[in-house]
Amino acid sequence: MSIINYASREIQFKIVYYGPALCGKTTNLAYIHQRINPENRGDLVSLATAADRTLFFDFLPLNAVVIKGFVTKFQLYTVPGQVIYNATRQLVLRSVDGMIFVADSQWEKMEENVESFKNLEDNLAKQNISIDEIPYVLQYNKRDLENIAPVNYLEYVLNNRKRRVQSFEVISSTGQNVFASLNAVSQILLHKFSKQSDVPKAAPAPVAIPVEPSVAQKQSAAV
Amino acid sequence: MNAIPCLTIEDVANLDGILGNFLTKAEAELTVVIDRGGNVISQFGDMTVMDVTIIAALAAGSFAATKELARRIGEVEFNALYHQGNGNHIFMNSVDDDTIMITVFGRRTTVGLVRFYSASTAQSVAALLKSLSNGGHGFSFDASDITATPVFADQ
Repeated sequence: MSIINYASREIQFKIVYYGPALCGKTTNLAYIHQRINPENRGDLVSLATAADRTLFFDFLPLNAVVIKGFVTKFQLYTVPGQVIYNATRQLVLRSVDGMIFVADSQWEKMEENVESFKNLEDNLAKQNISIDEIPYVLQYNKRDLENIAPVNYLEYVLNNRKRRVQSFEVISSTGQNVFASLNAVSQILLHKFSKQSDVPKAAPAPVAIPVEPSVAQKQSAAV
Repeated sequence: MNAIPCLTIEDVANLDGILGNFLTKAEAELTVVIDRGGNVISQFGDMTVMDVTIIAALAAGSFAATKELARRIGEVEFNALYHQGNGNHIFMNSVDDDTIMITVFGRRTTVGLVRFYSASTAQSVAALLKSLSNGGHGFSFDASDITATPVFADQ
């Protein structure tokens, strides 16, 4: 979380695209960069190898007026998906405000999806953050390919936590649901910091209360 | 509700005073204070020459990337980094555990002068930021202040 500069009336939020190698994180950013009003974006900075694999991170700054009286700057980052670059992923996750986890819908990528999600949880834990504290949404990408798992299977594998999050069927190469998922995480993020979210929720009723057996019960059981 | 740490107008004026004084003495073009996640906290100087947001993201990455290099020679991290160009250069130094200061300078000055004045400036900035974290102001807004329309539009 950054500090707000009240003089310039700016708020900055950092959103990180996380997921396994070649799942389409950079394609998401490239599509957003291509389609958003040029007045509302900066340059797309991509630190890639000659083979177009993300080496360090991709970075795209976006501006929006979404909070009355403030310029809101969203900084979109991707992490390198390749397993060996875990130190870089930890660096990019520093001060993260919101996340989009991009899963590859192909059957053969399921293990990599699960490993990457576990890696995300581990890397957040190193910053003493639980994934349940961070606003995030799920993208099931590459829905246009043939060899893909059904959405309910992906939900079972990746969205089976106590807190179910929003998920989107995405084709990042054509832009299907790319903006929808970005807007969803942005709204969750903004509402996290708004005053209304302070309203205390009613405590859930306890399912079962363990009762210590009385002395008389213990004695009768012993007999 | 989660309050966002906030620099008031008075805090920004104090920070600008420190950074402005540094730029005058060091004869540098621009100085930016960022957190280690790459977010800009404050900036002072000629901002027309470059996109400060991108400089901040890359500088934070560069600083973190050399940490492993430092560890290999028995250091926790390098306190300062210098990138030398043909006409323009960047000097970065650590302010505290969460903050970095970036200075961009050209031919009018030398790295020695920038390095010399940046050390005391970093201490002043660290003291100011520490006072914020100890008794800092939090900022939050009403949900009604958030626009209902999609934040970003596909053109």
